[in-house]
Amino acid sequence: MNEFLGIIQHKLHMAVLAFMGIAYVLRIIWLLNFSAARERTLPAGQPAGVVVSSLLAVAKPWTREGSNRNPVFYVQFVLFHLGAAAAISLTYFIPYRPELLKYGLFMRTLQITLGAAFVVGLLRLYRRLAEPSLRMISTPDDYFALIMMTAFYAAALGAISVNSLMMGNGPLWAFFLMAAFFHFYVPFSKIIHYLYYPFTRYYLGKTMGHRNIGNGKISGLS
Amino acid sequence: MNANTHLSGNRLGDPALATAGRIPALLRARINRQTACSMVTCVHCGECAQSCHYALARPHDPFMSPAYKADQIRKIFNRHLDWLGRVFPRWVGAGGKTEETDLSRLKDIVFGTCSGCRRCTFNCPMGVDNAALIRLARGILMEVGVVPQGMSNVCRNQWEMGNQMRVTEEDFIDSLSWVRDEVQYELGVNDVEIGVDKEDCDFIYAVNPREVKYDPRSLINAAKFFYLAGESWTLPRHGWDQTNFGLFSGDDRLGAFMAGNLYQAAARLRAKRIVVSECGHGYRSVRWEGYNWAKHNQTIPTESVIETIIRYLREGMIKVDRSRYRASVTFHDSCNVARYSGLVEEPRWILKQICSDFREMHPNGMNNFCCTGGSGLLVMPEYRDIRLEVAKIKAEQLKTTGADVVCTMCHNCRDGLGDLISHYQLDMKVVQIMDLVAGALILPEKQGS
Repeated sequence: MNEFLGIIQHKLHMAVLAFMGIAYVLRIIWLLNFSAARERTLPAGQPAGVVVSSLLAVAKPWTREGSNRNPVFYVQFVLFHLGAAAAISLTYFIPYRPELLKYGLFMRTLQITLGAAFVVGLLRLYRRLAEPSLRMISTPDDYFALIMMTAFYAAALGAISVNSLMMGNGPLWAFFLMAAFFHFYVPFSKIIHYLYYPFTRYYLGKTMGHRNIGNGKISGLS
Repeated sequence: MNANTHLSGNRLGDPALATAGRIPALLRARINRQTACSMVTCVHCGECAQSCHYALARPHDPFMSPAYKADQIRKIFNRHLDWLGRVFPRWVGAGGKTEETDLSRLKDIVFGTCSGCRRCTFNCPMGVDNAALIRLARGILMEVGVVPQGMSNVCRNQWEMGNQMRVTEEDFIDSLSWVRDEVQYELGVNDVEIGVDKEDCDFIYAVNPREVKYDPRSLINAAKFFYLAGESWTLPRHGWDQTNFGLFSGDDRLGAFMAGNLYQAAARLRAKRIVVSECGHGYRSVRWEGYNWAKHNQTIPTESVIETIIRYLREGMIKVDRSRYRASVTFHDSCNVARYSGLVEEPRWILKQICSDFREMHPNGMNNFCCTGGSGLLVMPEYRDIRLEVAKIKAEQLKTTGADVVCTMCHNCRDGLGDLISHYQLDMKVVQIMDLVAGALILPEKQGS
């Protein structure tokens, strides 16, 4: 049975990671096959700084009205994504750096993060089901991706909690099998949004910078 | 086999189906990397609904969310341009077969429930440009002829006459002559010249046809400022209309034609600069989008007349008396000027020179709400009811300022705001910046007085 765990922790994990990497490359090639619109105007501002600012937009909730009105939603966003980072990190820590999980503070931090992300996942699922405008735009993939992520957090929490309590390998199998499926499914789902984010933000920031949008200063007469 | 059976099954061809069948190819031909990014990046988080005046004014209506509206064209993209949508259409929310696309419904969504204000774009955590997707959908519908009549009419006017109000060359010249006489009378001088097709001027001036046909006050004011500043300027005989319904209809060819007329006129007359009168979409079209549509590399500066006035005031070429205007004034940022073109502080700088009681409305600048008449909605009366219903957001915003006057730098906003002020019975007047500058202008001593 431990041999099976070894296979899913190492070989299967590497295989799905390689698959995911190839799928990502193909998606980027596909996206770059669309020709970029060319800007023929003289610039009114400097794009470089605005591009950086645009790329960091996700970390600047105060710049968006939705986050200003509902900061709790932004906190949920942060916790949910920290949960993703924690769960994915565990697919490396458990097989390759298990000694880290012996540090109580580190372990507690991971557990709290994953627990919070799990709760946020449930809240997000409730919101998606309860709000008519969200229900209207939600696809089966939107629901499935959310449920899968929430379950992934639960599996990760179970894996490290059970691991520390020495209660058997069942939760570890569940976690690594889920991780394998997660990595396999990501290129086909909306979870791939983080791959597109830099491109979308880059082009928006470039346009804004070129046109001096949001600079707050009077532009040089062009 | 009876006659009905024989006629069914598209054997004789169904125009509606044939039209819908063209959509994927048109989408494929028009999409670029920027819009493709916006197609694939939306995660359906719903945050855009927090910033859209349609969604905010109708919170009970799930059809008003910007993501839903953009999804109507995204579905077609997913179905035909993304292999995942081709293989698993239902799973990723791709549309059904194109022939089943209800183009009339799509038309009502993209023309009737979005003013392209781009507020949702800047409030999207992912940077999805829903407004660009809506414009893309409009352009495709325009191509297949599924378009509101009013929009179609104005586009036809621009194609046929080179201006949106069917002003003939004779009427144009006649109006300019009248404007010259009026300026001479008001200034008490007799050497005002409004040149047409004059070569080697400092700048070529492009106007909104309403300044020629219905409301010459803006042109009179501009001519007055230019005279006092000692400018050498001209209007082109052809290409003087800076408005561009290619922007609203999504028709890049019309956009290229209208903007190209002006660029060609500027080149032909060897103008050193292009100046655009106060108009939101006109400024955006001439300054930014037009060069790209026309595939014309910008070589000469292109500016709003507001930037020209700033230069005059800074350099003392015209002088104003700030104490003259006692009414409280607030400023409405045009979406095309602020969110698309980056002019936010410029109008405020002028207003602070001429108004003693200037009050900001909130939110403002890049976060301002649309006047609700943007993107050609004023020429599509079938959407007037919903436009005025969602205008309650703007009406509340205006009312809260307690100002006597709302100033804008866009003809379209002027009409849109006027409409909602009348509908919501607000005690407020709408003016443009040039009106206020003219009111505060210190005229030189009249000759012989």
